[in-house]
Amino acid sequence: MIEEVFRVNLPVEEQLTLKRNRFSPIDRDAAGQKRISIVTGIHGDEIEGQYVCFLLAKWLNENPDKIHGIIDIYPAMNPMGVDSITRGFPFYDVDLNRVFPGSTTDFLPAQVANGIVQAVKGSDYAIDIHASNIFLKELPQVRISRSNADELVPLAKKIGIDFIWVHDAVTVLESTFSHTMNTLGTKTLVVEMGVGMRITKAYGQNLSEGILNMMSQVGIINRPLTPQGKTSISTLNSQVHFINSPSAGVFIPSLEHNVIVSKGEKLGEIINPLLGEVKDVLLSPCDGLLFTIREYPVVYEGSLIARILEDRKEI
Amino acid sequence: MKEEILFEIASLSREPLRVKGFRFGQKDSTPSCVIVGPIAGNGINQLWIASRLVNFLRQKELENPSLFKGEILIIPTVNPYSFNMSKAFWPMDNTDIDVMFPGYEQGETTQRIAARLFEKTNNFDYALLLEARKDHSECIPYVKVLDTGDDSAEEARDFGLDFIHSRKPTTHDTVSLSYNWKIWNAKSFTLVSGKKGSLDKGDSRKVFDAIIRFLCKKEIINLPIFECSKGNIITNENIEVIKSGTAGLFDSLVPVGEHVIHGQPIARVYHSLDGSLLQTIIAPCDGIISCRYDYPLIFQNAIAFRIIRLESKI
Ligand SMILES: [Zn+2]
Repeated sequence: MIEEVFRVNLPVEEQLTLKRNRFSPIDRDAAGQKRISIVTGIHGDEIEGQYVCFLLAKWLNENPDKIHGIIDIYPAMNPMGVDSITRGFPFYDVDLNRVFPGSTTDFLPAQVANGIVQAVKGSDYAIDIHASNIFLKELPQVRISRSNADELVPLAKKIGIDFIWVHDAVTVLESTFSHTMNTLGTKTLVVEMGVGMRITKAYGQNLSEGILNMMSQVGIINRPLTPQGKTSISTLNSQVHFINSPSAGVFIPSLEHNVIVSKGEKLGEIINPLLGEVKDVLLSPCDGLLFTIREYPVVYEGSLIARILEDRKEI
Repeated sequence: MKEEILFEIASLSREPLRVKGFRFGQKDSTPSCVIVGPIAGNGINQLWIASRLVNFLRQKELENPSLFKGEILIIPTVNPYSFNMSKAFWPMDNTDIDVMFPGYEQGETTQRIAARLFEKTNNFDYALLLEARKDHSECIPYVKVLDTGDDSAEEARDFGLDFIHSRKPTTHDTVSLSYNWKIWNAKSFTLVSGKKGSLDKGDSRKVFDAIIRFLCKKEIINLPIFECSKGNIITNENIEVIKSGTAGLFDSLVPVGEHVIHGQPIARVYHSLDGSLLQTIIAPCDGIISCRYDYPLIFQNAIAFRIIRLESKI
């Protein structure tokens, strides 16, 4: 059932609305039902989640008898952004994922953030699907703040995703959707995968299978589990290496995504098209899993080229 | 005066980003003051103020170098790239350099710019930042002081501007330049004025004069000055925030800096298609309009005005 969870007047004619698709059990006894919210499109230039929402809604449409809980799908949290390739909240040029929990009386992005929180509040689980940005391509991964690791890592494992990254808490991330929802008691996972402005079909298919598996395991749907790939997990012992460009130029990668790299292996080159010269050759600093690779070729000094998880641990 | 390139960042097809400094007085003489111009590429008023300061001090130094007792470093802007494209933030990824401090030399490009700027500016006695308001508003010239428990707000009276806004730092402030200067023991002040992307020479002149006055009071330079306002130290408690109750065409009836009285109409909001009057915004108190929304289309609940309340002291 399509429901509108937020509506506000814009200056000229239009109204800004947030919509969700709610799936409930056919037999309407709501008592004790678990509820999950699938959220995406907080960053308007991240489209990977659109395909995941489609695949989930399609399965749920086709299998109404297998639904045992409530599944809410929110494909576009920043509707003007999604429909205009705008990452931030249009006009205000702020990152919607930095104004949570929002407020009904603050500026428009905060009102939207508040509308999202009020709609999702009360869910047992939430999954916030991001697609990196236009610069980087990410292996499908769940990112978890260290302080929530004990609670969220077991849940993330149920999705069977390629990589779980437990990172240190950063003060500015306290204004994100996931931090707010975790504080309010909704177990919220942040998924990053693929690249901005694109859809990577295989990633979308894998993640939607993974989310259906997870929903089966927590009793929201009834479906046999499908096999999933292996999950790498960054722990306190393993180390994530950041490789930044030492110079300005054009990055030409040598490796495809999702590969195990060896120490000293060539990741790519920074070239100068005017001079016809290779300015720098980038080598892997360790053996590990290449989970982030530069997608947008033009780089400055400092532009992130790759992230590698050292000491791959298989679980 | 010594003109120097403080640091550069290379680019693929453009000339390198060059950050220039203009140094006056003897290097390492005290007291010392660094003045950093706009970090965002739309602070035209601030660029104007910084460049007028360079021009004025150069002339004074040529006339009489002994007027300079301490050292002054002026960095008119760290962001020529954004200025030249009429953008606020870093052209490549739209990141705000003023959320990258104290910076990280091994990190992303804007973290490196922040690290290099910070390294060149963190050892002065006084550190001034010129800033346009980051939200959609224009404002009167004022001094912004982050209240970390020291006496900076009192000291800000030496600028002679009418208002000193003192507020507690938020989590967002912890990554700003002015906050990090404070952490590194500089006395740090932010001079806020005007409207993004435009030039108001009158208000800019007030900020210019305030900085010269401050440099004289701190005995960094020795020039004749006029005395000015003693300054009113205000906090968020003294500020009335007035929001638009509706979205539409915004017609302000008062300029910033205007004295208004309780009940006075200060703006009207009209339906943008049929022209009907949707709301008359009324001043809820006596006071001075310190900030006004800067765009003719307004959103519901957008902050239309801030008024510094005129309160009777008991
Ligand atoms: Zn995102």
